[in-house]
Amino acid sequence: AEPWPENAALYQQLKEEQILLSDNASSLAVQAFLQMCNLPIRVICRANAEYMSPSGKVPFIHVGNQVVSELGPIVQFVKAKGHSLSDGLDEVQKAEMKAYMELVNNMLLTAELYLQWCDDVTVEEITYPRYGSPYPWPLNRILSYQKQWEVRRKMKAIGWAGKTLEQVLEDVDQCCHALSQRLGTQPYFFNKQPTELDALVFGHLFTILTTQLITDELSEKVKNYSNLTAFCRRIEQQYFEGHEKD
Amino acid sequence: MAAPMELSCWGGDWGLPSLHPESLTVMAYAKFSGAPLTVNTINNLWRAPKGDLPVLVSQDIVISQPAKILNFLRRQKYNADYDLSAKQGADTLAYIALLEEKLLPALLHTFWIEAENYCSVTKPWFASRIAFPLSLYLPGKMSREALNRILLTKGGPPLYTLTEVEAQIYRDAKECLNLLSKRLGTSQFFFGDTPTTLDAFVFGFLAPIYKVCFPRVQLQEHLKQLPNLCRFCDDILTCYFRLTVSGHSPAGQDTADANLQKLTQLVNKESNLIEKMDDNLRKSPQHPPRKLTTLKLAAGGEESSPMSRLSP
Repeated sequence: AEPWPENAALYQQLKEEQILLSDNASSLAVQAFLQMCNLPIRVICRANAEYMSPSGKVPFIHVGNQVVSELGPIVQFVKAKGHSLSDGLDEVQKAEMKAYMELVNNMLLTAELYLQWCDDVTVEEITYPRYGSPYPWPLNRILSYQKQWEVRRKMKAIGWAGKTLEQVLEDVDQCCHALSQRLGTQPYFFNKQPTELDALVFGHLFTILTTQLITDELSEKVKNYSNLTAFCRRIEQQYFEGHEKD
Repeated sequence: MAAPMELSCWGGDWGLPSLHPESLTVMAYAKFSGAPLTVNTINNLWRAPKGDLPVLVSQDIVISQPAKILNFLRRQKYNADYDLSAKQGADTLAYIALLEEKLLPALLHTFWIEAENYCSVTKPWFASRIAFPLSLYLPGKMSREALNRILLTKGGPPLYTLTEVEAQIYRDAKECLNLLSKRLGTSQFFFGDTPTTLDAFVFGFLAPIYKVCFPRVQLQEHLKQLPNLCRFCDDILTCYFRLTVSGHSPAGQDTADANLQKLTQLVNKESNLIEKMDDNLRKSPQHPPRKLTTLKLAAGGEESSPMSRLSP
């Protein structure tokens, strides 16, 4: 295993004013994963984190002289350095883990994006003010419109543009139901040891539970499943206590 | 339950009841759950209720996406997932998400974006089943939509060119096929001995890759190296689509003959081309007759290069 440098840093947008639900979820997932691997990392908040990232998505980590963004590539990068959480799984379990990670990305992440960029009320009251907040007018408006146009194009291409908010919440419910069934009464998804799937699910669910939106419908959907909320609390206590959480 | 249900979808060829993955999924699910569905294959798209296939029409209800159609069938008590545990139901959702994220882009690419495939197989096939003048427009539109979808979901940085995106999506698709093969193992269906929703989806995505004869077939070759997935597709075709397959076998035989004829024509054309090129080279002024010894060597070198240029 290669040594992990002391000054490894994770970059995300400004926590208090700028970051949005989906980016916060992705960032928390990466932080959880690195904590689970026992790799220390500092979180640095920058207004232009999205533009610094090699793939345009946050979060990204700066380790030594390499910059890697998004959970998938980060997991592979960390594996190349000799740390892995999923080595103990057999082939079928690895296939299941990959499938469930795709489920979370496909449904939860897309639902979060839909909620924050395609639901007019949320867009007006939360997203527009937050997304461009570090920048002066009219740049903040222009950046927000540009991003919204991009996200709406993507939604249209995958067929989500025609969905109503109720249908999106239904999908979230279905996804949480599936995750809850898979978790059952185990502490982690693959019994005793946490894996990147646990980190990803934790990142999304914890963010949904703790983010204040216009309505509480999204977090209510998650709260319906008590084993999921217990799961989030367990990971929070085990991996994030003793660190500053603001 | 007593209401008659009609499914409109794309027709089939090459031994498949349909070429369209989503139509195939719905048809497979209907067979698995025993739903009495009358299937109308589209020969004239003007008659479709919306442009988006497959479409289920039951009395006055019109439903258009595969997931919604399957939900409707389940509500009508045609449930193929009856014996599944809750965890297996969750696994179904997860694997379907995996298929859509990893396998569908490559499937769309093979059908609609790979230039040779599109021009020689997909476009003529679909155009022949759509009424003029829509046949001039619709295949192009479907191709553009497919390209859009792939670029928007997979084409962000650091992949900047279409070739890099293509390389990535085929890698993902091959990995997805490997994962499916490992998950299926030696069992007959994904959850034991009876087929379920997941089997319908996997069959819908795999069967077109497996059966349709394209000029560029890297995904098909990879699939053929996974014998349990091939056996899975063949089993479903013979057990559940037996009647349709045998009903189409004279047509299947005809298409096989027609394909054979086309192939022989292609081979003849190529050999004619090779002869012409040889003639051109021999008559070309670059090889004066006095350099006889070097001419033989050069001709040997020259002949090998047109051969290598003509091979695919």
